[in-house]
Amino acid sequence: MMSTEHAHWLERGDIYALGALDGVELKDFQAHLATECSICKAYIQETRETLNLLHRSLRPTTPSPEVKERVLEHIDGENGVSLTVAQPKKSRRWQRITGTIAAGIVGVMLAGAYYHFRYEPRHTVYSAVVNLLRDPSTRDLQLYGAGPTPAAKGRFLWNDSGEGHVFVTNLPPPPEGKMYAVWTIAQSSAPRYVGTIKPDVKGQGGLHINSTRSVLPMDTFAVTLENEDTTAAPAGPMVLVSKQS
Amino acid sequence: MPVEPLVDPVTLIQRIAAQNRDAFSQFYDRYSPIVYSLALRMLRAQSDAEDLLQEIFLQVWRQATVYSAERGSPEAWLINIARSRAIDKLRSIRRRERSFVLTDDPAAAESPDNVETSAGESESKLVMNSALANLPEAQRRVLELAYFDGLSQSEIAARLAEPLGTVKTRMRAGIQRLRGMLGTQAA
Ligand SMILES: [Zn+2]
Repeated sequence: MMSTEHAHWLERGDIYALGALDGVELKDFQAHLATECSICKAYIQETRETLNLLHRSLRPTTPSPEVKERVLEHIDGENGVSLTVAQPKKSRRWQRITGTIAAGIVGVMLAGAYYHFRYEPRHTVYSAVVNLLRDPSTRDLQLYGAGPTPAAKGRFLWNDSGEGHVFVTNLPPPPEGKMYAVWTIAQSSAPRYVGTIKPDVKGQGGLHINSTRSVLPMDTFAVTLENEDTTAAPAGPMVLVSKQS
Repeated sequence: MPVEPLVDPVTLIQRIAAQNRDAFSQFYDRYSPIVYSLALRMLRAQSDAEDLLQEIFLQVWRQATVYSAERGSPEAWLINIARSRAIDKLRSIRRRERSFVLTDDPAAAESPDNVETSAGESESKLVMNSALANLPEAQRRVLELAYFDGLSQSEIAARLAEPLGTVKTRMRAGIQRLRGMLGTQAA
């Protein structure tokens, strides 16, 4: 139990953990912490974990793949390690293949695609995705994590001819008896089920969609967590969606 | 590319400490989106946020050995690094801006409308139903000014023209509510 005297320190601990304590109060509190007060240390640690809720309130934003390349180049330079990891090479090859497609689109998606392609005949899906990317009427939509999986993200390539491809990352494997259902939604009409995504143990997965052209243009794309075999209409929580709130 | 099991972040940091490049790459993939969104919110300019992201992850690579799971989660450790670096940058940007503002009133130089604008912008980027979005406006505001804009309690009081005591009370009430949301309410 905490003494009332300590309550006074803990009040400062909140503001200290937030980084906003200043002036004499900051000096006093730092002096108190220097006495190795285990109560305050544990309290600040707990408060910092709580404050994680603040940055988690922001929508995660994937940085450009070039930043990662720069970081990796730096650490390789520091350690004299040669660039032997496959991923950067592959994404560069893909950028060549897709030619005119913006490099940014490709980098993020293909990491997911590689895992996905292990389970399907490679060349068929490769060329289907490349063709989709080449078609100027193909839309490239970002998917945002929602509900139970805020850290999930993905890309949805969609062509109103009815062909599309979804890539997801950070999507944990579904619980027993559940599945991730993918839906396309045209304005003011019922969601249309277009397939199921099975993320691998790294949370990455993909789905190639070959559906029929719809009369209305699709404007929302979503993945929901459903009981297995629920394909008539979504009933479970949305885990990824193409719209920002 | 082989599919590896999802490694828990503490193990990843331990591997990074042993200079394992693949572990670092995985750690980057997992955490760069949250760090980048924080950097963007704090610094606003994309190029500044990208530079910051790079610095933060280089620091992770170089200092993974000092991480200790007893002192907190990898996320809290990483965000702590990110915020301290971002706040340093913010302060130097503000000093730079202030030197261009020809005024002898530090409050006026310190509080151009940009902070108001950034609070407005951030609203649109908040995840619906997120913790912050669920805080009462007055509490959300002081927490945002401290956490994202790097202002101290006195600076916030000056900016909002509120008594220091009010600002402190709101901050603590806000944090207390966050604890409630996490179910970690102190007894
Ligand atoms: Zn204490």
